[in-house]
Amino acid sequence: MSDSKKFIVSHAPFWHNGSSVSERHFNMIAAALPAVLFGLTQYGGPALAVIAFSVSTAMIWEMLLSAAMKRPQTVTDGSAALIGLLFAMLLPASSPWWLVLTGTFVSVVVGKMIFGGIGGNPFHPALLGYGILLVSWGDYFDFNEALRNYDLGFDMLYPLWSVKFFGPDAVAHFSAWDLLAGQQIGGIGATFGIGLIAGGLYLIARGFVRWEIPASFLAGVFVTAFIFHAAAPDRYAGPLFHLFTGYTLLGAFFLAPEDSSSPVNFIPMLIYGAGAGMLTMLIRNIGVYVDGVVFAVILMNIANPLIDKIRPKAIGKVA
Amino acid sequence: MAPKKELQLAYGLVAVLLVVGVLSYAAFPAKTPEVPVRLVYKVVAGKVLFDHDTHANPAGYALACADCHHHPSYDDDALRACGDCHNLPPKDAEGRQVPDACLECHGPEDPEVTEASLVNRADAFHAQCIGCHQDYGAGAVDCNACHVQ
Repeated sequence: MSDSKKFIVSHAPFWHNGSSVSERHFNMIAAALPAVLFGLTQYGGPALAVIAFSVSTAMIWEMLLSAAMKRPQTVTDGSAALIGLLFAMLLPASSPWWLVLTGTFVSVVVGKMIFGGIGGNPFHPALLGYGILLVSWGDYFDFNEALRNYDLGFDMLYPLWSVKFFGPDAVAHFSAWDLLAGQQIGGIGATFGIGLIAGGLYLIARGFVRWEIPASFLAGVFVTAFIFHAAAPDRYAGPLFHLFTGYTLLGAFFLAPEDSSSPVNFIPMLIYGAGAGMLTMLIRNIGVYVDGVVFAVILMNIANPLIDKIRPKAIGKVA
Repeated sequence: MAPKKELQLAYGLVAVLLVVGVLSYAAFPAKTPEVPVRLVYKVVAGKVLFDHDTHANPAGYALACADCHHHPSYDDDALRACGDCHNLPPKDAEGRQVPDACLECHGPEDPEVTEASLVNRADAFHAQCIGCHQDYGAGAVDCNACHVQ
């Protein structure tokens, strides 16, 4: 038996360093704001309606469920507000109120509260809400159709749609910078790449998001897109296009690294992120859906408990 | 249990955002502009996204309204929805399919109605699009160049 001291914990009282789960949520909301504000400037009033209604109804669903289940009110931790904001960021600006109301219900109630509230959800709640609504009312999530009455001065065809049905030549006029600067249609908070990257880097720098998941997610998208593009450049767009379109950046920094639905160990985080990135590209290039981020992350959420079993051996042994 | 002050703040935030959301929905209803920008046609072969602006805009193909909206041709202001006429009801006892819109002006026995060979909306659009594209040698004629899922 070893008598070496591995870890020493002093006696109470302990000093709390001030970090809390609500601080994390409020920082994530703040980090998402640049992309949200950009969406507001592009789509104006309708986007404000979707965002305000989504955040408020998500919080209301949480309050109602907490009251119904006779549990302490947890709405102040910011989780419901963050879910509402992320859900709104995925939506087109023209989403009707009932779609938002139903979406926040599925996200908060089905996606989180029935699993016991924060920390118990096996999927990202906003993604579950989006996924269920997407298969229920797909036409409302078709950006070409939803934004058909808008003309913002750039190509108003959804880039991922164009490349899926008409090949890379149809999107050759999109430069990487255009895409990063939000010169593309998409979700209210999903098109402004620069804002999403800045928000994501802030979250990583502050330690609210571990770098492993965004980095491996983006690497998974890049490498898989590169392989497809190298194999058939006339059918599949290059990796940079896929990095800066659709929900890739929103997924990498805000959706995939969710608390309870993503792994906590180093190797599992890399597998989880890379797997989600790879699945995203498989769905985009050979799947039915135009964008694959939502279902790719949900699928990896399912695999998360299994992947997270890969962890260092505990010191000592069971008697 | 959250402190009372934080709860009050959360309730206040919910109330403000809900009011902003509801008022914004009321103030910015989804309305179709008088001249459409783009249109999506849903047909069995797959959705077709039609860029109305590019076809009608003077900076685009500069087509006149009446080039496509052919009836009533004497009055541009009276352009009607295509589906008003190209929407065939079930066959009547005599095997005819006369849309209600025709009967607004024509009598049921009017030869213009009884002898008309109206087609339904999807077929009319199809003939309109592909016919024009072929006539002018411009625009898509392959199925999957317009029809996508």
